[in-house]
Amino acid sequence: MRLQITWFVLIFTITSLNVQAEPWEFDKPIVVTSTNSENIFHHLESAGRHNIAISADTVAVAWEDNRDGTPRIYLARKGRNSQNFSNAVKISGRGEAFEPSLVALGNHRFALAWEEDARIHLRIVTPTELGPVITLGAGEAMQPSLASHDQQLLLVYSQRDGRYGRIWMQRIEIDGQALQTKQACAVDGEPAKDDQLYPSVTRLADRIIVAWEDRRPGHTIIMAAQNDNLKSCRFQPPQRISEPVPSGGMPYGKGHGVARVALAQYGAEQLLAVWADKRDFREGYDIYSANYQAGSKQLFGPNLMVQDSFGGVAQQWHATVTGDQSGRLVVGWDDKRNGTADIMLSWREDDEWSDDFSVPGADGTGEQNHPTISLDAEGNLHLAWVERATADGPTRVLYLFGRLVK
Amino acid sequence: MRAVLLLIATLLALPVMAEPPHGYPFQPFDKAMQQAQSENKPLFVYFGRYGCGYCEKTNKEAFSDKQVRETYSKNYVLAYVDSESGKRLRLPSGERVTEREVGTRYNAFVTPVFTFMTARGQSLLRLVGVQRIEDLREADNKVQQLLNKEARP
Repeated sequence: MRLQITWFVLIFTITSLNVQAEPWEFDKPIVVTSTNSENIFHHLESAGRHNIAISADTVAVAWEDNRDGTPRIYLARKGRNSQNFSNAVKISGRGEAFEPSLVALGNHRFALAWEEDARIHLRIVTPTELGPVITLGAGEAMQPSLASHDQQLLLVYSQRDGRYGRIWMQRIEIDGQALQTKQACAVDGEPAKDDQLYPSVTRLADRIIVAWEDRRPGHTIIMAAQNDNLKSCRFQPPQRISEPVPSGGMPYGKGHGVARVALAQYGAEQLLAVWADKRDFREGYDIYSANYQAGSKQLFGPNLMVQDSFGGVAQQWHATVTGDQSGRLVVGWDDKRNGTADIMLSWREDDEWSDDFSVPGADGTGEQNHPTISLDAEGNLHLAWVERATADGPTRVLYLFGRLVK
Repeated sequence: MRAVLLLIATLLALPVMAEPPHGYPFQPFDKAMQQAQSENKPLFVYFGRYGCGYCEKTNKEAFSDKQVRETYSKNYVLAYVDSESGKRLRLPSGERVTEREVGTRYNAFVTPVFTFMTARGQSLLRLVGVQRIEDLREADNKVQQLLNKEARP
């Protein structure tokens, strides 16, 4: 009996400690997508995983679904304290549209970029109107990702250049609801030697950093380049972020796999890159990160695993990251360690990554995957993800609000 | 000189990364699934990755076997999935997915993974990692026995 009580006290203490450790208290999930039925499939996919944004007290989520038989882009919004999202607004045009990237512009306004009929399209959305759509260039392009800074948008995308995709950056000025294209340039000045894909961009005070997937060494690596002369569009030569691992003398293959880098600014001028990394080839992808090193010859520092050791025997997918001005930094992903895909978080605390946290309401039966996260100005966490009861069943997009409690 | 240039051109044309093995009619997953359903044949799905060393080893040491090639080409509709690719596919359900998401769904967390499936996508047998000629022959036997057993009244 005494032993049982001791175990109970121990378990209760550990559980209590865990509960107290989370910086956020989560509300119940809210359904974002109003059209949910058989054969309708929602996707939260974008280079950099920017599918949720907060402007003033308006929360917006952008996704793609096929409700009318064609993949199109939709946006739903709600006030921070509202329990319902608005009906979805169709953002894209008549073509097949994919992978929307969403950023907040302030004053309840948002900008979206998406791929439609193999071209990049953009528009601004205000509380009352949809701004005019602009279409970039004549070349085949995909995987847009946006960042905003003052009255300027930075858009990166992969544009077909002969056999390969090549990362481009386009500057865009915001003039009311109108968008005006300015300078554009290839991020790597050298012609692509293999595919460059899925870029993510961030603007710090005096520089722009772009990261992307690059297949130039015969396998996929993460690369980055910076522009520290904002009057010019020229980037410095790119550098590898994802570190190579020793091959152990194996005569086959070029290297381990990595996928889908995302960038987030935090603190005054800090920046983190996260991605899925298969350097431990036996257990699938893990979530890795690297910090931007201002003033160093090496753009990004050593690679650090984000997830805790309990995740080592499970697979992690779809890394997303957000930060805020106070220095908070959160990484999310979906994770099968508990038998089903659940949304997990880890945050930076005392200069290390916290234990992994399974988000209540975004875990349990069914599949919860493709998370996208954003911190608001008060440090509250906003999370959206795709939920499906069965592997082949219909999907919904759900949302959770995490109120900052410490 | 011409011979040297020809040799260089030939070497450049050879795949240096893991791709589906040569001489096999591998197709994208969605097209293979459509064909499998229309012909009522099982699928053999190869989940690989760009630069995958163990895929390259299996290609060279097992799929190079003539009997394996004949057996697999005859008995299955063959699909290749680059499990890091963003290439879009449309499943028979109407769902649009990327090759990477097909890999996620079928748990291709390492590469190569070889999955024998029914035409409806139900997994019959899964092989993980490097395979030898005898592994592929034995797997084919197992799957054929399983299918014969299911076909009996």
